[in-house]
Amino acid sequence: MKLAVAVQRYGADINGGAELHARYIAERLARHAEVEVVTTCARDYVTWRNERPEGVDQVNGIPVRRFPVTHERDPNHFGRQSRRVFDQPHSIADEIAWLESEGPASPAMIDYLERSASKLDFILLFSYRYYHAWHGARRVPAKALLVPTAERDPAIGLGIFGATFRSVRAVMYNSHEERAMIQAATRNEEVPGVVVGIGSEIPARTDGERFRRKHNVRKPFAIYVGRIDENKGCKELFDFFLRYANTFPRGLDLVLIGSAIMPIPQHPRIHHLGFLPDEDKFDAIAASDLLIMPSYFESLSMVALEAWALGRPVLANGRCDVLKGQCIRSAAGLYYERYEEFAETLYALESNGPLHARLGRNGRDYFTQHYTWPVIERKYLDMFDQLKREDASGARRPVESLGGWLARRQRHQRPAAEVLTTIPSNAVVPGSGAAENLSRSA
Amino acid sequence: MTDFSIRSDNVDVEQIMRQIRARIREKRGVDYTEEEIRELANVKLEKFLDPRGVRSDLLEQFRRKREASLPPNFKFEDTTLFETHRGLLAFIRRLLRPVLKLFFNPNPLIDALHIQSKLNAQQAALEPLYYEVIHNLVLETTRLGIDVKNLKMRVESMSSRLDFDERRARALEGVVQYRPGAVPPLQPPSGGGDSRAPESPEQSERRNRRRRRRGRRRPEERTGGRSGQGAQGAQGALGAGGTPMSEGGEAEPIGEQSDDRDDRGLTPVHRDTDGEPSES
Repeated sequence: MKLAVAVQRYGADINGGAELHARYIAERLARHAEVEVVTTCARDYVTWRNERPEGVDQVNGIPVRRFPVTHERDPNHFGRQSRRVFDQPHSIADEIAWLESEGPASPAMIDYLERSASKLDFILLFSYRYYHAWHGARRVPAKALLVPTAERDPAIGLGIFGATFRSVRAVMYNSHEERAMIQAATRNEEVPGVVVGIGSEIPARTDGERFRRKHNVRKPFAIYVGRIDENKGCKELFDFFLRYANTFPRGLDLVLIGSAIMPIPQHPRIHHLGFLPDEDKFDAIAASDLLIMPSYFESLSMVALEAWALGRPVLANGRCDVLKGQCIRSAAGLYYERYEEFAETLYALESNGPLHARLGRNGRDYFTQHYTWPVIERKYLDMFDQLKREDASGARRPVESLGGWLARRQRHQRPAAEVLTTIPSNAVVPGSGAAENLSRSA
Repeated sequence: MTDFSIRSDNVDVEQIMRQIRARIREKRGVDYTEEEIRELANVKLEKFLDPRGVRSDLLEQFRRKREASLPPNFKFEDTTLFETHRGLLAFIRRLLRPVLKLFFNPNPLIDALHIQSKLNAQQAALEPLYYEVIHNLVLETTRLGIDVKNLKMRVESMSSRLDFDERRARALEGVVQYRPGAVPPLQPPSGGGDSRAPESPEQSERRNRRRRRRGRRRPEERTGGRSGQGAQGAQGALGAGGTPMSEGGEAEPIGEQSDDRDDRGLTPVHRDTDGEPSES
């Protein structure tokens, strides 16, 4: 079997969520198939500047073919285009212009995918919202599997993506909430889909004491791992934690791991350790009492899965449907939506040993059951088998037309932000109406 | 803070969260969501900007400012005065510009208009911020108002509980017995006054011996004897160094008392399971 993995950036040093996801999947599927990664020469997700050489490269034994980006992103232009399509009535042409301005625009990459499609069994397109995924899905729909990595942002309300989600062969969702959101937005229930997510390379042994010695952390602590960014909910986390620290002077400390792009409050109980290698990161999680995930938007939190794999409960932002749903389904975490809940839940996890132990154990079970690599690989391979059987039966879905020149320029599209408000949001939990397919897909 | 008991292997996170929210509601009195606080704040904002309030048309002005499209800010550059879309005219103007500068210097005018353009842009950027500041202030004031209300309720609740505890403490003090030699608590001066002079230790010992000789009294005698004294009378008698009475009214040596004594020498007569003094 021959597979191509198409993603906007790729490299061992790139730790963005979707890019890391793509790399892990490529490396894992390489055990079962011949895998080639097709990507751009960009390294920076803001500018998409061509920083890597064009051509074929090897990353961890996987061949990587890079194509140049035709233009860098102009933030002002992109901002204007975003306002137009997110906040105003607009046309399909406006949405395509938005996609072009978002980048990374690489027509050569799309041409290559089209040329090599006949030699490939399937093409995995990562991140629905980027140029390569949209154009790739339209040019080679018969081979395209989409890994959307969709978050609850206005882009999902754009009309051009509905056709993409309905045209591809299959969709590999990250979570039940993501699937519910995409299906509500694009009505693509007919397209085969499975909730897969991603595994993680959990070390066989971790040593919390080693972390404590190395970084001189003595007291019990809660941990946050990830980019320290306002968009990740860190501002709210700091606000809540400082209030909690004042209320409970002898409570948990907060350890932060990751690069900071916002100021971190100076407080004796907040310790920022910067970016750490994987070994230290896992040791830190093992040494912690719990992981806090304050992010509002996640399609799947890998670090939450890693904490569960190590038997640590998670305290998540309840306004993120995905995290809330995972906490409920796994019975391995609590969630908060405001300070009072933050304080109560953190205190409960801090002080209630049996609760903490039970949640931790549930997390480990949940990870083993759903997110170990053999489970993930099996879901991909099963989907490939299912699609091959469909190929044999000759059933195909046509690519939807976006209309002629004039139709594309008529401003009939609703503002995407307005569309987003009509998409139901909530955690998908067993027993709820939205969870009717939960057991089938899990 | 909430305390949960985990009894089974199945943890229901939603159930725990319901308990936590119920607990928060119980503590806060009323449980407002962020949206409700915002709604309240909006109402307050309307009130704050009500004609009878601060300024008659402040809110309207803000709204008009936001709704009406602002006039385009004219970007004034050094070439603006001479710009034209007609190529020939632009050429002639460029040609004659040195001649024009013989008559007057347009540069100060250009500089001034350029600065004015920047000031306009700054002002336009500040207006929404002012609105936001006012809005946020009202939001915070509302939140604080709610907090104050809840705190008032808590203070009232705590003060009533404190009253209750004080009454309970007085009642308990009325039924404890003191070891000989232990310093009794100060008694409040009674209006009627107890005309009896304080007993000396010898007198007290004699009275106790008499009681031991008399033996066990009948219940009606005991009741009748106590009812006349009341709690204060009993305290007065015990406070004078009397031997503690057993349940049946028999005197017991101090050394045979139970270990319920606290370090102040107080011994509860009898407690039921929840700590209330029983009447048995």
